[in-house]
Amino acid sequence: MGKLIGSEIRIEGVSKSFADTQVLKDVSLTIKKGEFFSLLGPSGCGKTTLLRILAGFEQPEQGIVTLDGNDILPLAANERPVNTVFQNYALFPHLSVFENIAFPLRLKKVAAKEIKKRVFDYLDLVQLRGQENKKPHQMSGGQRQRVSIARALISEPKVLLLDEPLSALDAKLRHQLLMDLDLIHDQVGITFVYVTHDQSEALSVSDRVAVMSQGKVLQIGSPIEIYESPADSFVASFIGETNFMEGKVNAVDGRMITIESDKLGPIKVTVDSGHRQGPFVVGDKVRHTIRPEKIRIQTTKPNESADNVINGIVFEVIYSGFQSRIYVDLDNGFRFKIFKQHVQYLEVGHEIKWNEKVYLWWNPDDGYVVEKLV
Amino acid sequence: MKKQAGVWYSLPLFAWVTLFFLIPIGMVLLYSVLSRGNFGGVKAELSLDGFAALGNPAFLKTVGITLLIALVSTVLTILVALPASYYIARTKNNLTLLVLVIIPFWVNFLIRVFAWMAVLGREGFVNDLLRWTGLTQEPIQFLFNIGAVIIVHVYTYLPFAILPLYATIEKFDFGLLEAARDLGADHLTSLKKILLPNIRGGIITAILFTFIPILGSYAISDLVGGKDGYMLGNSIAYYIGKANNWPRASAIAVVLTLITSLGLMVYFLLNRSQQKTLVEEEVK
Amino acid sequence: MKKLGFSKAAYWLTISFLFFPLVVLAFYSFNASPGFTFTGFSTRWYEALFSASRESKSLWNSVANSVIIALSSASIATIIGTLGAVAIHWYKFPWKRYVQALSFVPVVLPEIIIGVSVLIFFASIIRLELGMFSILIAHISFTLPFVMLMVGARLSEFDDSVLEAARDLGAKEHQVLLRVILPIASPGIFSGFLMAVTLSLEDFVVTQFVRGPNSETLPLYIYKMVKKTIPMEISALSVLLVIATVVLVFSVRNLMKYFVKGT
Repeated sequence: MGKLIGSEIRIEGVSKSFADTQVLKDVSLTIKKGEFFSLLGPSGCGKTTLLRILAGFEQPEQGIVTLDGNDILPLAANERPVNTVFQNYALFPHLSVFENIAFPLRLKKVAAKEIKKRVFDYLDLVQLRGQENKKPHQMSGGQRQRVSIARALISEPKVLLLDEPLSALDAKLRHQLLMDLDLIHDQVGITFVYVTHDQSEALSVSDRVAVMSQGKVLQIGSPIEIYESPADSFVASFIGETNFMEGKVNAVDGRMITIESDKLGPIKVTVDSGHRQGPFVVGDKVRHTIRPEKIRIQTTKPNESADNVINGIVFEVIYSGFQSRIYVDLDNGFRFKIFKQHVQYLEVGHEIKWNEKVYLWWNPDDGYVVEKLV
Repeated sequence: MKKQAGVWYSLPLFAWVTLFFLIPIGMVLLYSVLSRGNFGGVKAELSLDGFAALGNPAFLKTVGITLLIALVSTVLTILVALPASYYIARTKNNLTLLVLVIIPFWVNFLIRVFAWMAVLGREGFVNDLLRWTGLTQEPIQFLFNIGAVIIVHVYTYLPFAILPLYATIEKFDFGLLEAARDLGADHLTSLKKILLPNIRGGIITAILFTFIPILGSYAISDLVGGKDGYMLGNSIAYYIGKANNWPRASAIAVVLTLITSLGLMVYFLLNRSQQKTLVEEEVK
Repeated sequence: MKKLGFSKAAYWLTISFLFFPLVVLAFYSFNASPGFTFTGFSTRWYEALFSASRESKSLWNSVANSVIIALSSASIATIIGTLGAVAIHWYKFPWKRYVQALSFVPVVLPEIIIGVSVLIFFASIIRLELGMFSILIAHISFTLPFVMLMVGARLSEFDDSVLEAARDLGAKEHQVLLRVILPIASPGIFSGFLMAVTLSLEDFVVTQFVRGPNSETLPLYIYKMVKKTIPMEISALSVLLVIATVVLVFSVRNLMKYFVKGT
């Protein structure tokens, strides 16, 4: 089984409403050939609807969808070279595993010998060789999902759509299957479009992620871009955890800008020249963030050279072995989150405790200006 | 393709239902307001003659007897079915118990009625027994009256009452009865105040499956009813057959349908109020 | 401690009540003389059933008619009802509400009204002679809703993602029906068919009205005999029918067990 070629998908200006609610608002994006692309967002954001439009189960009111340049909207679901892996597997209960996987080939009246060979190839791909005579109800959730994947791939579609395929499984299984999906994508090579509300899933296997909310695409980028350079406050808070601050820019020195923030004093942040909302000038009101893992915390006063030093009192410490989550109440009333990894041996009695006075500080390179405020 | 599939699959049903449900019933309505043809059947003339006879006392008597039989049979059936289904619901391995209730049903309906004739007839089992024990000399007339009709109806509809009652009682949480006992109520009171209100839905369903069909009953009263146990169904048959007055038969059929529909409406209203009460109590 | 004494007694009394007339009938089926005064033991009525007399010929003829009508009406009702139930359950079409409402009319209308309406329909509009055909039509009509009920119940156990999957993988609509819907629905289709056969064999009132002068099914034959005389052969026949039914039910049950095991 050699590597296949996936299709490029272009979605332009797609809108869709159900009853009185507009579920997709003028959505446009391009998915590259062979990419592992995720649609990430909270429930109700429209990601599943977009997927179903790609599959052919829904029609948009407006917009164009093309596959390698060809308009696929007039094609019915069974005419598109696009197959779906469903959240609840949707296996045919009356057919064995073998027959479930063989189903697409039997529709096309492929010869029995050829079917047998192909089915066993794909059974190997999903590591289910030996289970082919069982019925779906005799298999576990993870196994059923593998059957579903094999069945969707055997007819060599150009695009594989996955609709929250792991959400019905328990945590341990989820991780294993996700890794397997990554491997399968590498082996098969076609375009994967993956829908999920779980950001750790999306970040770990995707080439690129589209973050969606309320029918709109907020940002498209690689996992690192999404995490470190979120396009707006929603993305910044939806992906990972962060601390927000607001203030006025009162000095600009090359890449370094100083923001008078929220009675915290001057906070220095470096800004890339290519920042989508830049350049920033004195007088601009901005919202900026600092991720919890990038804040340093200590009980002794930091060096003179340290930037962005703030004091606070520890409100709560949640210890989880390799790290602690520390909540600190600042002088201005804010509560900041800090993740501290215990990279050195932690002696009992030397940990940061509740109600202690602490100093927080961080590198200007580690902060990020999210957006200008009007 | 998918859009049209639904049309194709439903087409035979649509055609059948229109041709053989809607139109025939429409015909009955139509016939009830036409006038009687010279040799039977109808003439294409409007007339309320069919309905006119509904005012006369003989017809009203028939309606009354029908309602009486339906009412008494239903009450008796429910009274007998309640303790029996209670017992089944509270027994662990009750499959056999349920099957026993259903087995008599496997015997053809007419044969079951015939069996009652063998029991109640002048030459039947009961009379045989009475004479053999010397209690009577002459046979007693058990058949061909309202009583016989009621007994055979109860006999026929018991399974229809037992099954839904069993289904509802089975869902009841009997721990509630123990709670009531714990608070001081005796067995009978707890049954009355706690069990009965909670199985109201099942009782209403059992009544529906009994009362409404008995209203339209024909065969039982025809075989064991004689002159006194004469029901609306028999009246319709008479006007279709012997009297050859189809408009009148249709008119009576319309009346029967109205009574039945009224009964159904009452059932739906009762059911909805039952559900409303349950929801209100939950919300509280 | 459960106080079941009263209800237990009530239950067994009820069962006795239910079985009592049947036992009496079986008892008299071995009566040496006609009528319900017991004179001695005899199997003459059983022999009469299988004799070549005109009576027994017409009896077995009515049995044959009942079986033919039951099997054919059930088959047709199953086809129409299954397709209809599938359409209602999973597809859209313009007359959906109408069909849904009307399909269940025979369940709530008294049988006599169904009988009369079909009779009038045949006499006035179709002007076809009443006979086996009219009986067939009437039987299909009143068994349809029960087939739809059984198939519909089975269909509700599955959501339409299975259909979407089939289409997604390339199935055309007729392939979806033949390869996915019908196999999944088959237990419901089978029970619907069985129910239709049972209802058709049992039916008396509707058949009575639409029969025409010459056609006779078993219930009609029994009715005719009961009205005329005291047909002792009927008692013998009923005992045989009960035995046949019990045997049939138990063998079907064991067959089902075998099928389920093998899956």
